[in-house]
Amino acid sequence: MAKWRWPKQIIDDKQVQRLRFLGSVPLFAGLSQKQLGKLLVKLFEKEYSVGETVFLQGDPGKALFIVLSGKILIMRSRNAAEEQVAALDRGSYFGELALIDDQPRSASARAGEPSVLLILYKSDFDDLIEGHRAIAIKVMANLLKALAGYVRVAQSRGGLRNVALTDD
Amino acid sequence: MTENDLLEPQSEANRRGRLLTPPPSFIWALGSVLAAVLVYVLHDLVLILLLAATLAYLINPIIKLAESALIKREVAVGMTYVGIALSFFALTYFLFPLLRGELDALSSNAPSFNDRFDEAIDAVQNEIVARYPGANRWFATREVRYEKLNVFLDQQIMNIPALSSRLASMVLAGVLIPLFAYFFLRDSRKMIQFVLDHLAAKHIETSVAVWCEINRIVGGYLHGLAIDSVLVGALAGLGLWILGVNYPLLLGVLTALLNVVPYLGPILGALATTIVAIIQFKSLAPLVKVLAFYFALKLVNFVVIQPKIVGGEQNLHPVLFIASVIAGGHIMGVIGMVIAVPIVTILQESVRLLLERRRYFAQRAASSPAAGIQIQPYVC
Repeated sequence: MAKWRWPKQIIDDKQVQRLRFLGSVPLFAGLSQKQLGKLLVKLFEKEYSVGETVFLQGDPGKALFIVLSGKILIMRSRNAAEEQVAALDRGSYFGELALIDDQPRSASARAGEPSVLLILYKSDFDDLIEGHRAIAIKVMANLLKALAGYVRVAQSRGGLRNVALTDD
Repeated sequence: MTENDLLEPQSEANRRGRLLTPPPSFIWALGSVLAAVLVYVLHDLVLILLLAATLAYLINPIIKLAESALIKREVAVGMTYVGIALSFFALTYFLFPLLRGELDALSSNAPSFNDRFDEAIDAVQNEIVARYPGANRWFATREVRYEKLNVFLDQQIMNIPALSSRLASMVLAGVLIPLFAYFFLRDSRKMIQFVLDHLAAKHIETSVAVWCEINRIVGGYLHGLAIDSVLVGALAGLGLWILGVNYPLLLGVLTALLNVVPYLGPILGALATTIVAIIQFKSLAPLVKVLAFYFALKLVNFVVIQPKIVGGEQNLHPVLFIASVIAGGHIMGVIGMVIAVPIVTILQESVRLLLERRRYFAQRAASSPAAGIQIQPYVC
């Protein structure tokens, strides 16, 4: 039996593009169109001009940010000096630890060029995954992959070994 | 001339500047007072807007569902309105004959209503006095009851001009509320986007947090209340039908409608049913059964249904809950009692989140930077 489709005239083209974009974000890889649609209606959009701060290191984290366009610089302050640790462009995401815990931001984020970000609030994300186990499993698996990547990078720099030693 | 002497005039100027600029708390207080005055002056319009927003909240999940299926928002809102209108007509078509039967029976009995009510009250009073002779002193005679009824009716007749003008406002509100709700639903995303576009970047995260929390709590409360009322109305109708009380459908609908008014609503619902039961049975035992049923229904609603459906989303302290219901009733009548709880919840939640943020930054400023070990390359 052919799959039911809504007539083209009533479909929101902008939302279709957003949906495709969300499907390309690594954090939401593997989600079906229906699942992405549920996520889509929970997102807010905000434009940032060059140099505008998204959040500061130490701010309370309450949301995940996805780069829709532009470039976001991730900066970390060490000994009163600020160093750039990453530059994120379209399809990248940051602030993901806010979805897991309520700890302060461990770095600052600033627009490196005019940028548009999609914002997903933690409680909205929690509501979504509480009601949809399939979404929760896929997103958490993607998040774990990302975290595993960070740990490997930290290990290669010797950071994790130091943590283990200092903890003991 | 020392360095301090050079700095002194500038500090003085700064101090004077600080004296001239009002503190933010003063501006907030002034803004709140002005908003309160505006709400008071535009009382009727504010009420209509609040009811339209409530209706929009109730319909919004359907729109979100359609949006998640990538349907244009304006199309989704239009389709939903058409769907609601069709459902309303279908419900009226199937349910109205039943309700009309009950209403016809009620209105055909209306001329003899007073006599029947008097007879029934006398019968119940006599039954109680026969069992407990001491209770006689608590009951009024027919004459005293008539006198009280006349006083009450005189008061109502004096209110008729006000009531008729009120009726006109109610008809207007009946048209305006769905209309405003339509625009709220259609343009809510644009309104939110407008606010986000004009907010400073540093306030975005907290603003989104406040908006989402309000949405979650108020949406949950209103949807819970609507489902709770339908369930309570259905249970009341079924229970009254089993108990053999007249007009079970009508009384069930009335109980459901009144259930949305905190505290007062269930009492009024039970009172209406009691009057019908007194006239019908003219005896104490069935009346006690009906009252016991309403008490049990309220208990089940309070212990089982409400915690599961409304889920205590409003998080209001019982004292604040009662105070807001009383204040809402005083300012905007019965409708004020219904919408007082979500409004106070919005205020409480906004203040809580803003204070939480303020306290967080105050604590961070007071304490030295924590020497935490950072292992992430750029996770934030």
